Amino acid sequence: MPVPVSQMWTVASYVIRQRMAGRKRYPFVLMLEPLLRCNLACAGCGKIQYPAHVLKRQLTPEECFRAVEECGVPVVSIPGGEPLMHPQIAEIVDGLVARKKYIYLCTNALLLKEKLDLFKPSKYLTFSVHMDGERDHHDFAVCREGTYDVAVEGIREALKRGFRVTTNTTLFEGADPHSVRRFFDDMMQLGVEGMMLSPGYTYDKAPDQEHFLSRRKTRNLFRQILSNRADNWRFNMSPLFLEFLMGRRSYSCTPWGMPTYNIFGWQKPCYLLQDGYADTFEELLRETDWERYGTESGNPKCANCMVHSGYEASAVNDTFGSLGGFLATVRSTLFHKYKDPDAMGGASPSPRTNAGQLVQIATSQKA
Amino acid sequence: MHPPAGTQEEKLGVVHENLEGWIPPTATEPEIRLALEKAFDYRGDVTLTLKDGRKIEGYVFDRKSAGPSLADCLVRVMIKDQPAKLNVAYSDIAALAFTGRDTAAGKSFAAWVKKYNDKKAAGEKNIGIDAEPLD
Repeated sequence: MPVPVSQMWTVASYVIRQRMAGRKRYPFVLMLEPLLRCNLACAGCGKIQYPAHVLKRQLTPEECFRAVEECGVPVVSIPGGEPLMHPQIAEIVDGLVARKKYIYLCTNALLLKEKLDLFKPSKYLTFSVHMDGERDHHDFAVCREGTYDVAVEGIREALKRGFRVTTNTTLFEGADPHSVRRFFDDMMQLGVEGMMLSPGYTYDKAPDQEHFLSRRKTRNLFRQILSNRADNWRFNMSPLFLEFLMGRRSYSCTPWGMPTYNIFGWQKPCYLLQDGYADTFEELLRETDWERYGTESGNPKCANCMVHSGYEASAVNDTFGSLGGFLATVRSTLFHKYKDPDAMGGASPSPRTNAGQLVQIATSQKA
Repeated sequence: MHPPAGTQEEKLGVVHENLEGWIPPTATEPEIRLALEKAFDYRGDVTLTLKDGRKIEGYVFDRKSAGPSLADCLVRVMIKDQPAKLNVAYSDIAALAFTGRDTAAGKSFAAWVKKYNDKKAAGEKNIGIDAEPLD
């Protein structure tokens, strides 16, 4: 199993308590962004496009703890920016571990090997390393050569020292499903605990606006990569959410399920859309016009979104919301191969590229 | 009211206007509202000139624009090189200018591919896009 039993129990019992209390809108993962500066400049990222004075700001450990206590979640994801650039990241992690929160510290791992001494292995702490694919694809996706190799070194060192490590992968237009499947093999061979996936979101603020996936293309791509799974592939995600990505089930968005807190405050309405900020979590829940978001709203900014920050919470609710959802989760956990002989549509496997040869994502004619 | 979601599926991404250096008209209420909405979407700093003569340079990170009058609406600004965040009512704003650099302009994948090919041809190694300088 990819996740410790204690973590599964903590999340399950938390969700059940919320449902028994009749809470209609509750979070289960906090996306805590302690800073927005990064040591990469990925063209598809909408999180780092700010003036320098904004990038210099950061949350204090006390602000981080206050946010976690305000929303009461059992799991805290720490993305950014690059969290390892925060001068007090160890203090933040220590404080969250002391509060028995399960932490996913999301990092590009360029600083991981250097900073590992700041942390202690713990069942509460997982390094979630940003890896977008095989070497050439990853380096191209993050707009810097050599990044994949440094990240792999960081992963190896963290695993050697007993840390929990997962990968997180964002896929854009042009992703080669054969390459992605080889990448899964590579990551499991490295020894990571599990993998996380997401289609890239159409950030308004991202420099690149040409390579986002439509819903139709997302379902097609994820059907290709997640059907006919290898026995040793492990995904650190809700199995029902993965079925949603494959087009096998439908969900409405649950944007309050993974709220975001950063230097601006509590982000409305979700991790991806920046439609304003609330000063408290209670204000976020109360003052956000939730009916304006999600695919059913007709909001064009939500039309193509299938990202975990809105939909994995929906899948988790499904697991615990009905006997049918629970049984579907058990079934998908036990029977996880998803045999589908037509998934690849007859496309021939593409060869692995040589190191140093740039894999180009198709660019616009306007380039 | 938004159009049905299915009609939006293939229209991905936005076309960012080149607003850097722009001084929008702010003579009427609709002009002010439009200008401040664009300031909120802008990926750089703006300079607000208030009716009391003060100039505020900073990043507009939030707006509350649903109020019936300009006095009921405000922008929230992270002031450049100061720790404070400031709320400014729309009705207090005399003028607005997009004075800061658009931090995402020119950083598309197409631009990256061109840069990569040019540098590779020049024999460079470890090619990449640099993170935004902080000074």
